[in-house]
Amino acid sequence: MPYLGSEDVVKELKKALCNPHIQADRLRYRNVIQRVIRHMTQGLDMSGVFMEMVKASATVDIVQKKLVYLYMCTYAPLKPDLALLAINTLCKDCSDPNPMVRGLALRSMCSLRMPGVQEYIQQPILNGLRDKASYVRRVAVLGCAKMHNLHGDAEVDGALVNELYSLLRDQDPIVVVNCLRSLEEILKQEGGVVINKPIAHHLLNRMSKLDQWGQAEVLNFLLRYQPRSEEELFDILNLLDSFLKSSSPGVVMGATKLFLILAKKFPHVQTDVLVRVKGPLLAACSSESRELCFVALCHVRQILHSLPGHFSSHYKKFFCSYSEPHYIKLQKVEVLCELVNDENVQQVLEELRGYCTDVSADFSQAAIFAIGGIARTYTDQCVQILTELLGLRQEHITTVVVQTFRDLVWLCPQCTEAVCQALPGCEENIQDSEGKQALIWLLGVHGERIPNAPYVLEDFVDNVKSETFPAVKMELLTALLRLFLSRPAECQDMLGRLLHYCIEEEKDMAVRDRGLFYYRLLLVGIDEVRRILCSPKSDPSLGLLEDPAERPVNSWASDFNTLVPVYGKARWATISKYQGAKRHGPELSNTTSFATSGSLIPEENKERIQELPDSGSLMLIPNLQLTAEYFEKTWLSLKVAHQHVLPWQGTVHPDTLQMALQVVNIQTIAMSRAGAQPWKAYLSAQDDTGCLFLTELLVEPENSEIQISVKQTEARMETLNSFISVLETVIGTIGDIKS
Amino acid sequence: MIGGLFIYNHKGEVLISRVYRDDIGRNAVDAFRVNVIHARQQVRSPVTNIARTSFFHVKRSNIWLAAVTKQNVNAAMVFEFLYKMCDVMAAYFGKISEENIKNNFVLIYELLDEILDFGYPQNSETGALKTFITQQGIKSQHQTKEEQSQITSQVTGQIGWRREGIKYRRNELFLDVLESVNLLMSPQAPGQVLSAHVSGRVVMKSYLSGMPECKFGMNDKIVIEKQGKGTADETSKSGKQSIAIDDCTFHQCVRLSKFDSERSISFIPPDGEFELMRYRTTKDIILPFRVIPLVREVGRTKLEVKVVIKSNFKPSLLAQKIEVRIPTPLNTSGVQVICMKGKAKYKASENAIVWKIKRMAGMKESQISAEIELLPTNDKKKWARPPISMNFEVPFAPSGLKVRYLKVFEPKLNYSDHDVIKWVRYIGRSGIYETRC
Repeated sequence: MPYLGSEDVVKELKKALCNPHIQADRLRYRNVIQRVIRHMTQGLDMSGVFMEMVKASATVDIVQKKLVYLYMCTYAPLKPDLALLAINTLCKDCSDPNPMVRGLALRSMCSLRMPGVQEYIQQPILNGLRDKASYVRRVAVLGCAKMHNLHGDAEVDGALVNELYSLLRDQDPIVVVNCLRSLEEILKQEGGVVINKPIAHHLLNRMSKLDQWGQAEVLNFLLRYQPRSEEELFDILNLLDSFLKSSSPGVVMGATKLFLILAKKFPHVQTDVLVRVKGPLLAACSSESRELCFVALCHVRQILHSLPGHFSSHYKKFFCSYSEPHYIKLQKVEVLCELVNDENVQQVLEELRGYCTDVSADFSQAAIFAIGGIARTYTDQCVQILTELLGLRQEHITTVVVQTFRDLVWLCPQCTEAVCQALPGCEENIQDSEGKQALIWLLGVHGERIPNAPYVLEDFVDNVKSETFPAVKMELLTALLRLFLSRPAECQDMLGRLLHYCIEEEKDMAVRDRGLFYYRLLLVGIDEVRRILCSPKSDPSLGLLEDPAERPVNSWASDFNTLVPVYGKARWATISKYQGAKRHGPELSNTTSFATSGSLIPEENKERIQELPDSGSLMLIPNLQLTAEYFEKTWLSLKVAHQHVLPWQGTVHPDTLQMALQVVNIQTIAMSRAGAQPWKAYLSAQDDTGCLFLTELLVEPENSEIQISVKQTEARMETLNSFISVLETVIGTIGDIKS
Repeated sequence: MIGGLFIYNHKGEVLISRVYRDDIGRNAVDAFRVNVIHARQQVRSPVTNIARTSFFHVKRSNIWLAAVTKQNVNAAMVFEFLYKMCDVMAAYFGKISEENIKNNFVLIYELLDEILDFGYPQNSETGALKTFITQQGIKSQHQTKEEQSQITSQVTGQIGWRREGIKYRRNELFLDVLESVNLLMSPQAPGQVLSAHVSGRVVMKSYLSGMPECKFGMNDKIVIEKQGKGTADETSKSGKQSIAIDDCTFHQCVRLSKFDSERSISFIPPDGEFELMRYRTTKDIILPFRVIPLVREVGRTKLEVKVVIKSNFKPSLLAQKIEVRIPTPLNTSGVQVICMKGKAKYKASENAIVWKIKRMAGMKESQISAEIELLPTNDKKKWARPPISMNFEVPFAPSGLKVRYLKVFEPKLNYSDHDVIKWVRYIGRSGIYETRC
């Protein structure tokens, strides 16, 4: 047991190391040293035998030397004065006739992390850079970087840097790559190694001679090279073409990234490259090396963000197999969710439905959420599958389905009816907090369409004493109050009971305060309650319309083949943000640049939220029923209140437009077929005060714009303006998606 | 760049720990143990971030290998490096197990010293490494002049993967075509293939003198069609046997430019064992076995399962190590099995009936029937019916790949292609071979 008597162990080993009999017997001596290293590995403090180990370094046995050097590198910072004793031996070894010994000594000497060692290592490193054995040169080149690191913020030695730049022309490929790495670290403050035209071309010519690590590294360095002309750019791409098919996935990804970055002004080249790496990526996705497969899947998802149809025909490749590890299955489900299209939606949903009953609850829940994601575009089919899943009456499935329903109703109001019909009965199978909250929310908001909603809530109210989750109680309060507004007779009594319980008996302060708040609100009067609880919500549906908009390749090209797709952008932002804050710029120029690009994201989102039309002053009522005759009559009787034109290109897709308008509660009365010229549409909407908005959209084929004419039954400027801004946003969004 | 490399056993004890960069401290070793190895739930991701440090891990049997870094690195590259590390270790001492790692820990430290320097991958070719790693270190004092010069030529040579001056009395080479065939089959009566692919490797072991130039030929559809243009007769004959390769990748030694232009595979091989190529096919796969399941639920407490397997290859060939795994529900109380061939057993701990057959010839059929008795439960959860999986080994390549020739030219030494003794072997193994039921 090494952890118990560590002092005894040190004492014993010390004795053994000093024993002249053991020292005389090479094998026994080495065994003792091995024991020291073994204890060191286990985390025991072995610095007590430093002196004896230094003595052991003066040996001809190379293995023993290696072990002792490993030991010294670990403990040198703790015993700097003793470590200086070893320098002599190391310096002697640096001029050994055997290149391996020279290399070993130099490498170890550079790895001694202690103050004052620089003056001793400078000369051996310089000698090493001119050594005739490339093995020593490799070590010496990296030694320069180590030396610089020891110095900390010391000045950059110009002569050394020049020497390293000239070593870029070395015969040995590993020396070349090490030079790049070393220069990068030394020149970090100046922005890293400079890749100019001669260096770039030199590296390109040496590429095929490098091993896979070298190739990946060089590809990474070439990212910062800017070709002067288009011709040069395409020459480079041609030269690197074969690396897109390299046997090493790392090189393939590196090459892909380089192509994407270099060709950032040529979208067709980028698309072409992504088509060409489809094969290698798919191969990696179905390879036996699970970890690589995972990484490849992460990158496939990244590509799908920009080219949704890219892998659609290969959807079967992303079907999960029973014995795959969890993390691969979850990634595959995400991929399936993103590559779905009109042709494969049936098969994909069929497959996902199978996963929903998987033994692993985690996986089945992920599959259900995936179906929920697909439901945003293929609502009817998905809602049907989800409804069927409720029939299984299993707790872990029901709870996730209900949560999915909640999100879905919020994003796609058109499915509210179907969801409301599916809900009754599922309260028996929900036990966890999340599921209960979702169910209660649905019952509260859409309670007027669910006949037994008050009775379900009543059960919750009756059992509120034994309810363990405060969040559920909060949700219950809000939901019951909402339902009370639409169905007062059935709810009044239990609302009273619930409020009484929350105020008098509840121990959780947040719940109690919420109870008190609602109680006082009710005292103000029912109209005030209605105004506060049922006033217009921020409308996420426009965000939804923007969501599937393709993100340009250039927005993520710089993140390709880094950890960003693996962790996800948001998570990486938090990871790197902290790093950037903790360590100041110079040390991690690489990561800090990522940090800034990462932290921009939330801000971008904020802006987007602000951009959403403020529909506060205008609330259009859903499900307005207006007959065509009535519309025509009203249209003819009114004058045009507002007319203007918006830019518009190409033909109109009536379905998309109709759907988009529906989510903001603007109904379509009539519409021309797609491609008709001129194209016309008549729309109607009504706000909560009863004012009707009638609209005509007109697209003339010759001038690329859309003309909007709005008529209003009651002339009020402010509502008219907000109506027009809502309409414009929708049309603008649709236009964006198309282009 | 990699900040440190740790190896743990299944209990989370550190077997090897090597730190390359200052930013990785000793506490990183413990962080991984606590957060990943000792974590209750299953592994969420092979990349774990703990306190802004990324841990990349792979598992070999019950050994954990973890690479640690604080930088934004290329994930694929790090994993490739870990695989390479495993390959190199395996080449030195065989299987990666706790015992082997403990016994060879000096050697592993030596390897880690050579493969990575300051966290950057250096030389990682097993053949080339062998000159640097001296397991019998005592020899090194008396290291001959010749060996020393070998190191120098090795490390300066233009061809990183082969040293000069290799001599063998007997020039010999071995070619192994190793394939793993993957299948996902739907349950419907005719049995529809949902997805099937073969991932294969051509592994070569070469014991050749000098700097031999090799040329490898196989029944690649594109090559055969190109050649067959002259004689139409031949095309129709050989066209049937050629295969379409979806994608393939080669060892560094293969001249890719030549492959791109003429689709010929020529190279100077490394000494010893290496992987010449890796490929994947998805068309015209010979599925060695068909599994036909029949599951009938008799009431609530009984289940009747009948599974037929049919071997689908030449009767003269023998498949080996056949194992069919039929999952059973969790509430199984007893199982009665009858099988025509081999041995079948219900393994309660694995929730499966495992049916093993030692050998089976082609074009044969065998069947197993089982009665599974279930405990009545009030659990309304329906049994998910996991797929029936199968393992086997067959002496042919399920993709249909055939080695047509492997020619060796060494102009400087006087041995010719005919003097080289060549061995070719095909092994097809099951990858994930599942039939849903």
